[in-house]
Amino acid sequence: MTVRCAHCGTAVEWDRDDGEVFCCAGCRIASELIRDAGAAEEYYAGRAEYAPRPTDEAEGWDSVEVERTPRGTCRARIQVDGLRCASCVWVTERVLGAVEGVELAEVSYASGRATLEWDADRTDLPELAGRVAALGYRPRVLGESAPADRDLLVRLGVATFAAMNLMLLSAALYAGWFGGMAPRFVALFEWTSLVLATPVALWAATPFYRGAWSGLRSGVLHMDLPIAIAVTVLYGHGVVSTVTGVGDPYFDSLGMLVALLLAGRVLEARGRERASGAARALAATLPTEARRLDADGHPELVPVDRLVAGDRVAVGAGEEVPADGSVIAGDASVRTSVLTGEAEPEPVGEGDAVWAGTVVEHGSLTLTVEAAGNATLVSEMADELERATDRAPRAVGGDRLAPWFTGATLTVAAGTAWAWTALAGWGAALAPTIAVLVVACPCALALSRPLGAAAGLGAAARRGLFLRSGDALLELADVDLVVLDKTGTVTLGAPDVLEARTDTLRVASALERWSNHPIARAIVDEAIRRGIPLPDAQAVVETAGRGVTGRVDGGVWRLEAGDAGEVRLVGPGPAAGTLRLGDRVRPDSRVAVDTLRSLGLDVVLLTGDHPDVAERIAREIGVDVAGARVRPDEKAAWIRDRVSDGRTVLFAGDGLNDGPALTAASVGVAMGTGAAGAVLAADGVVGVPSLRPLAAGLRAAAAARRTVRRSRVRSVIYNVVAVALAAVGWVNPLIAAVLMPASSLLVVAGALSVERTVRSADPSAHDQAPASPADTRLGRAA
Amino acid sequence: MNALLFLVPVALGLGVVFVILFLIAVHRGQFDDLDDPPERILHDD
Repeated sequence: MTVRCAHCGTAVEWDRDDGEVFCCAGCRIASELIRDAGAAEEYYAGRAEYAPRPTDEAEGWDSVEVERTPRGTCRARIQVDGLRCASCVWVTERVLGAVEGVELAEVSYASGRATLEWDADRTDLPELAGRVAALGYRPRVLGESAPADRDLLVRLGVATFAAMNLMLLSAALYAGWFGGMAPRFVALFEWTSLVLATPVALWAATPFYRGAWSGLRSGVLHMDLPIAIAVTVLYGHGVVSTVTGVGDPYFDSLGMLVALLLAGRVLEARGRERASGAARALAATLPTEARRLDADGHPELVPVDRLVAGDRVAVGAGEEVPADGSVIAGDASVRTSVLTGEAEPEPVGEGDAVWAGTVVEHGSLTLTVEAAGNATLVSEMADELERATDRAPRAVGGDRLAPWFTGATLTVAAGTAWAWTALAGWGAALAPTIAVLVVACPCALALSRPLGAAAGLGAAARRGLFLRSGDALLELADVDLVVLDKTGTVTLGAPDVLEARTDTLRVASALERWSNHPIARAIVDEAIRRGIPLPDAQAVVETAGRGVTGRVDGGVWRLEAGDAGEVRLVGPGPAAGTLRLGDRVRPDSRVAVDTLRSLGLDVVLLTGDHPDVAERIAREIGVDVAGARVRPDEKAAWIRDRVSDGRTVLFAGDGLNDGPALTAASVGVAMGTGAAGAVLAADGVVGVPSLRPLAAGLRAAAAARRTVRRSRVRSVIYNVVAVALAAVGWVNPLIAAVLMPASSLLVVAGALSVERTVRSADPSAHDQAPASPADTRLGRAA
Repeated sequence: MNALLFLVPVALGLGVVFVILFLIAVHRGQFDDLDDPPERILHDD
């Protein structure tokens, strides 16, 4: 007797009838855990799908950053993969919460992130992770440590508070400078400023010291180095002049500098955290059971992981192929979209190879298993994609300027000291030299990149293109070749009725009304779209591979597969005829392609589909075909060749099979409607079903890069002017207080202009974005 | 003008109170996840 495991739903052989059946010890334990947490009834009733089978837990729990809370408990965040529905989240929280010593267990469904708080004396992280793994979900160490972000936020808060008050006090000092002020009030303001500036310089700015130091140790002049020098000099000088009462402290400049730079850091860190949230492991959609044929040819239902090479398996219409293998009997049309991304089914017959995860649409097959489980092509692809997400970050562009900046500042300072000593002696050289170091402000330089990139990312996201990093955005600005996948990218990715008479469609839709087949759905959708009332059909029989028969309006009709892309309706009456189906081009693909070309880009189509179809679609959207019937690895190779020719390639695709190509391209963008695997491999995701966000994203990228460059130029001009003034001894704190924030504010203004530039270039695209990025799993992923 | 000797520290003290409130909010995790809480109310539990 074949029954289903009460926990994961796997088919198991079971001879007795003694209550609940489990396929393995893991599922039994999972079920007991759920029952112990008092959650069994609600969980098993409320879940949307069978639970995943328990797995071995991941390792590396020592590396998780554990934070001590004020209450003396430990707190950490881990990633939980494999959460499929709200019930999964709920049961995970309940089971963890029932563990003795756990104070808090909160799981985010959107990101799969669990926040745990526990008493270190009573439990520990590996135990908690083990509980999650025993349920069948996959806990793992979170790539990005969240507390770092929190730490930055606290520093930013303190620095901003200090900077605002420092400005207020300095404004009073400047007023007193012109109007006169009693010395004791000057002292009051200066000493108060010192008190405020001390935590900023000694604590809030430590990330910059650390960055500069680790850069120095590894022999790199990091952008943090000039920042660290500026903060140190500003603070040191401020302390000396406050204590001695000689000279002017530049504390307001110090506060402003640190607060602005920390704001840039926080923006960057938030962006990174979102990106890592997007890297969710791929739950491959493989079937869980297979019909294995025994020696006599009798089918038996077995769990798919019991299949071994050499087994014979039967697959019927509508079922997924459970393993890679070759066909030994039968004819069928197989939808390979999980591998090739193409919606059109391919005919397969004796001797042909079929792959796990593909779906038999018509007919039935018997095949010999060649590879099963983790050895199948689809599993290997999923593994490769998971690895691909841990891409090495690209070189940071802004840092190239850091050594120059530091070198130039130190050189000018040395020159100033030498010149003043030579002309007026030691005592006179000190003030201008310090002034040079003080006013040489790396702030605008260091801010230009994170702010420009953040503005560009925001502008692109509002138009439906969610990019993972500022690097991807700046790379996008260089793109000169756009390669489009066909199915699901240029086209809708699902069959659609292209041509059918109304009476034919009416009868056909009656027959297909209750079927879940993609073609059936297309027929019914088209009938609804045309406003045809669906007639009732009786005695509907769906025969695998032979179509549907049923009684409509008193006559018996049969709907069957015709020539490629056609469905024939046979029966008594004039309604008999043919329906032509196909993958329809998205209504706005043509416009999107035209926009891309108007930006001066080459656009080509690269597809795994038949050359004739590729040609037709290409004509329809007005692009050239770069290749048809291209295998996924060939796609990637083609793109890699273009990249090595010096072109910057943007690839847009949607299938799991597009993963290698997405990784090979300079910038890979996945269509949000596509496979989860494609999303993982991509640098970005289009969150709306359209190609138009690509053009908008390119505009945003171009605007962002222009802004970054302009900000750098402005920053250099500011520094040249300010340093020159300082070197000749004309700078006073008021001038510094105006000049330094002014240069930073110019950078902020530049960043704000990105959105305006993009909007004025394409006002129509402004409403393309989904109402909220949170609308889709993909919006969030980006 | 001597009032300043008293008022400046008082003003700063008030500011510090708010900074401390901010720190408490951060440590309680109120800024950790700005995306999920609005969706949590939609989950039934």
